[in-house]
Amino acid sequence: MSEPIVHLQDLAKTYRVHERPAGFKNSLVSLVRRKYKEVHAVRGVSFDVHQGEVVGFLGPNGAGKTTTLKMLSGLLNPTSGTATVLGYTPWRRQHEFLRQISLVMGNRSQLHWDIPAMDSFLVNQVIYQIPEARFRATLDELVQLLDLGELLSKPIRNLSLGERMKCELAAALLHRPRVLFLDEPTLGVDVTMQGRIRRFVADYNRLTGATVLLTSHYMADVTALCRRVIVIHHGRLLYDGDLPRLAERVLPFKLIRLDLDPEALHAELDAYGEVTERDDQKITLRVPRSQAPDIVGRLLAEQPVLDLTVEDPPIEEVIDLVFASDASAEPKVLVG
Amino acid sequence: MRYWLHVYRVNLRVAWALLMQYRFSTLIWAVWGFVGPLISLAVWTAASQSRNGAIANGGQSYSGSDFAAYFLVYMVFSHLTMSWDAFEFAYRVRTGSLSPQLLRPLHPIHADASFNMGFKALTSVLLLPAWVLLFVLLRPSIASSWSNMLISVPALILAALTSYIWQYCLAVIAFWTTRVDAIHQFYFVLDSFLSGRIAPMALMPAWISGIANYTPFYGMGAFPVEVALGRVPPPAAAAGMVVQLVWFIVGLTVFRTLWTAGVKQYSAVGA
Repeated sequence: MSEPIVHLQDLAKTYRVHERPAGFKNSLVSLVRRKYKEVHAVRGVSFDVHQGEVVGFLGPNGAGKTTTLKMLSGLLNPTSGTATVLGYTPWRRQHEFLRQISLVMGNRSQLHWDIPAMDSFLVNQVIYQIPEARFRATLDELVQLLDLGELLSKPIRNLSLGERMKCELAAALLHRPRVLFLDEPTLGVDVTMQGRIRRFVADYNRLTGATVLLTSHYMADVTALCRRVIVIHHGRLLYDGDLPRLAERVLPFKLIRLDLDPEALHAELDAYGEVTERDDQKITLRVPRSQAPDIVGRLLAEQPVLDLTVEDPPIEEVIDLVFASDASAEPKVLVG
Repeated sequence: MRYWLHVYRVNLRVAWALLMQYRFSTLIWAVWGFVGPLISLAVWTAASQSRNGAIANGGQSYSGSDFAAYFLVYMVFSHLTMSWDAFEFAYRVRTGSLSPQLLRPLHPIHADASFNMGFKALTSVLLLPAWVLLFVLLRPSIASSWSNMLISVPALILAALTSYIWQYCLAVIAFWTTRVDAIHQFYFVLDSFLSGRIAPMALMPAWISGIANYTPFYGMGAFPVEVALGRVPPPAAAAGMVVQLVWFIVGLTVFRTLWTAGVKQYSAVGA
């Protein structure tokens, strides 16, 4: 297998945070005796990402996802461990490295607030030393893919959140980065815009072969874009592997959705599995994953089934279950 | 070289676009530079009038019109050498808005320096009529020659460079403590006394001017003014510029050291 584009080995980041209890007396005490607490944001995370992969980086708030992305993009120095991106040590921030990556943060703008996006794009053209012909070609492509059109001439502060995010993406991709770090790129934007951004990221990956590492709280982003997910919790890696396999390991169930003939509304279905939903003649059964084929066979033979589908549990449910582990307990590592 | 010209040109264009966007705010900030020198001028003019029209110390004498010349030239030069990056930079570190700048293959100081130059160029044009009016109204005594004026140009450029790099050193302290305002105020107090901002150095007590000789402040403030006004003989002016250059190089070295250590402390809060 080829050399990984992103390689982490026991990467860790610990913050030293000043803390004091509330109250005037405690604030006086803290003047002379300051107490610090160590916050282990990332604890020895290791993984590799290869050329062209789109990897979903999942975890609840405070899990260490953004801290990891900040280390990989060179914003933060780690406390220990090593990492390379495209063969470079990110936190050295060599210009040759920075010219080949981009970090898009849903809550942070790289564009000047008071002037049109096009002015910021022209600054990027010079800073990233993009030849005029390539700049125009990439810009035209981005304008088309993201439907930027008239947005380019409006001051950023006059754009909606979704429009601003499209301009942010364009600014981040003008230099055609080989590695793209996306931190909550669809944060706060409406469903239509989320879909458009997802399609755009998928297209960018397909057309350029760029490697993408994505964090998002919207599972739809992850399911649409990522075959592989890395789950991190309390700063530790919990799972690294295929998204469908994560569901298999965490929730060993299948959902059978049935549409029954109205005559059978009172049919005894508990014998097949746990009835989790019942809405008129539509019924959802939860059954052990290994027994699903047999149960489907029995249902079709014994019940007046009009329609039947077999599904994995919603990924949100899977992720909820993974993250529901006790905060004080050592997280259980799931092998990918 | 061509790359750097492009970088500064494109950043200057952005700086002007931003400054034009908030033109009244820009003008108010620029006019604020009048306040300090004009107050000092009023105080020293009154003092000289109460002492038979002139104040002398250490072989140098200042009449009311000499004070007018000194503080008016100081006002113009101060406008061209000023920097405000310590405040801006601390804000960026505190809010995490420095992050996008750190991710670009260009040191943030270049965009900031472009903005600084853009502000000065634009506001100098806007302030020019006001400066001319003040020179006409206050009738300063400028007995200097064109050669002195010319010699003061490199001294002024070195003053601007030195002032900028030391202010940026101050700014970088924000990596360790985000409340750099207090440190900046202390710096401003030192600058006021040691740069000649509140009085010509010749009129300051000997111990203050003695200390000033061992700091970069005099070279960043009164020195180019005194060169322009012909109060510094050419050999002393040349020696003064060497001292300015040394302080600039020291500042650059301190800045690089602080930056390398400081950026490791950056916690990229919120971004």
